[in-house]
Amino acid sequence: MLSKLRDPSEKTLALLLLAPAFLLLLMIVVYPIGKLVYNSVYAVDKNGVFLGLQNYIDVVQDPLFWNATKNTLLITLVTVPGALIVGLGLALLANLPFKRKWPVRLSLLLPWALPLSFAGLIFAWFFHTEYGVVNDVLRRLGLQSEPTSWLLKPNWAMAAICLTVIWKTSSFMALILLAGLQMIPKSLYEAAEVDGASRWQQFWQITIPMLMPSIIVALIFRTITALQTFDIPYTMTRGGPGEATETLAMLIHKYTIDYSDISFGSTLAVFMFVISLFVTGFYLKQIGKNAQ
Amino acid sequence: MNPTGIWSSPALRWIAAGMVVFNGFFPAVWILFTSLKTEAELVQKPITWWPSNPMLDNYVKAFTDQPLLTYLKNSLVVACGATALSLVVAAFAAYAIARLNLKRRQLILTCIVASSMFPLVTLLVPIFETMRALGWLNTYIALILPYVVLNMPVCTLVLVSFFQSIPRDLENAAMIDGCTRMGALWRVVVPLAAPGVFTAGILAFVNSWDEFLLALSLNSSPAVRTLPVGIALYQGEFTFPWPIISAALIVAIVPVAILIALFQERVVGGLTQGGLKG
Repeated sequence: MLSKLRDPSEKTLALLLLAPAFLLLLMIVVYPIGKLVYNSVYAVDKNGVFLGLQNYIDVVQDPLFWNATKNTLLITLVTVPGALIVGLGLALLANLPFKRKWPVRLSLLLPWALPLSFAGLIFAWFFHTEYGVVNDVLRRLGLQSEPTSWLLKPNWAMAAICLTVIWKTSSFMALILLAGLQMIPKSLYEAAEVDGASRWQQFWQITIPMLMPSIIVALIFRTITALQTFDIPYTMTRGGPGEATETLAMLIHKYTIDYSDISFGSTLAVFMFVISLFVTGFYLKQIGKNAQ
Repeated sequence: MNPTGIWSSPALRWIAAGMVVFNGFFPAVWILFTSLKTEAELVQKPITWWPSNPMLDNYVKAFTDQPLLTYLKNSLVVACGATALSLVVAAFAAYAIARLNLKRRQLILTCIVASSMFPLVTLLVPIFETMRALGWLNTYIALILPYVVLNMPVCTLVLVSFFQSIPRDLENAAMIDGCTRMGALWRVVVPLAAPGVFTAGILAFVNSWDEFLLALSLNSSPAVRTLPVGIALYQGEFTFPWPIISAALIVAIVPVAILIALFQERVVGGLTQGGLKG
């Protein structure tokens, strides 16, 4: 037995090595998914009465749910393309032949490594009505006579949050796209040059098509994380003013942790899961179409 | 783009580099300036850009008015614990997937990566319940276990590709020379995979250091708050203590900034291999 343990067969060894990963996934992912569905149809906090679909009906009739869904989708629709465009710009600039590469590389890594919640706090200070640098710059440029109360007006608060999310996430986009840019063979551009293609043509005919795989990977991950947006609105506005910037993730957190309504929070999570699945599925289908 | 054309001009290259550096550094630099200003200077109008009288009082206050040292310790324990455990779990799984004679190894890898990329927010409720049932709310382990799952995709992907890059013959040679398989793993594969383990470790550390939602929901007691949660909840009763917050932010940013500055190339390599973080 001892010798068997010291030199187990390949199959035993493989199972032993995979066991910790699978046990953890079972505890943190698989069991919770089942528990989520259970919670949503039983009143777990009130003697476990079977509720059937009552929670689902309540969610659909809850204006806060639709408000949070609208905000989440709006943030996703604005910040994913926004981060892609800014990230592509940063990647193109960072790909220039600099003698020293580290300052530019570190400038892309720093926002990536910064916690989302810190980005939220820092930008909340930037957008401060009285002492924020944003209003100061706008005033100096003569674009503003009265200071804007960025975080106190629904539309401005949403705009400030989207800008912050774009700043924070575009660096990750840029790092992924930069790696893609560096893999494009130089000879393609040389050949295009010989054929007399303009820089603009080169960009659309060579750079973008060659970069497509990286763009798709970056878009998928950015979309999945955008749907889960929590940290930045939480630290900037706490979902306010009113519920103008409340996302689905914040609503789940509010019901579960603040109101201790496990059943309703779980039902919301099921809805959010379905939305994520739908969006991710849509992407994968589009990629499948492109691949053909 | 190719190196010829308008960008061959050094002046324009300087402008390009300046734009990227400004975009990356401005927020941190602005917070650094804010942290050096007095409260009186901060509420001056129009606002000053450069601190007229730089001082370190806010840093002292950040540590004395608020339990910043406790938050720092909590973040270090949670991030280091999660990183160590992530590496062990992911290295085991990655070795099995990369090296052992397994059927459906691709399927196993996909399962691990896909299930750990599951939107964590949706699992918040049951994870909260599980930790409450186990009596683990407000303990380090309540955060460490989910963070290991959070780190699993990137760590497993980076390590699988590293294990695959180590020639199998080296391991076979060690076994012919009388090593057991475990001996070969320990003496040959582990030392050679060290750079990969290191890369995966940095990514896992940054991920764990940054996490907010679970830390906020599972560890609400001030004694076990991590830095992101602790600093975000500074905002007290009436006013938001911006100078102290700024000092605390700088204290929290510097360790990670040094880490990524020292190991930039590894971090970028690891990220593009399997980095999945917004």
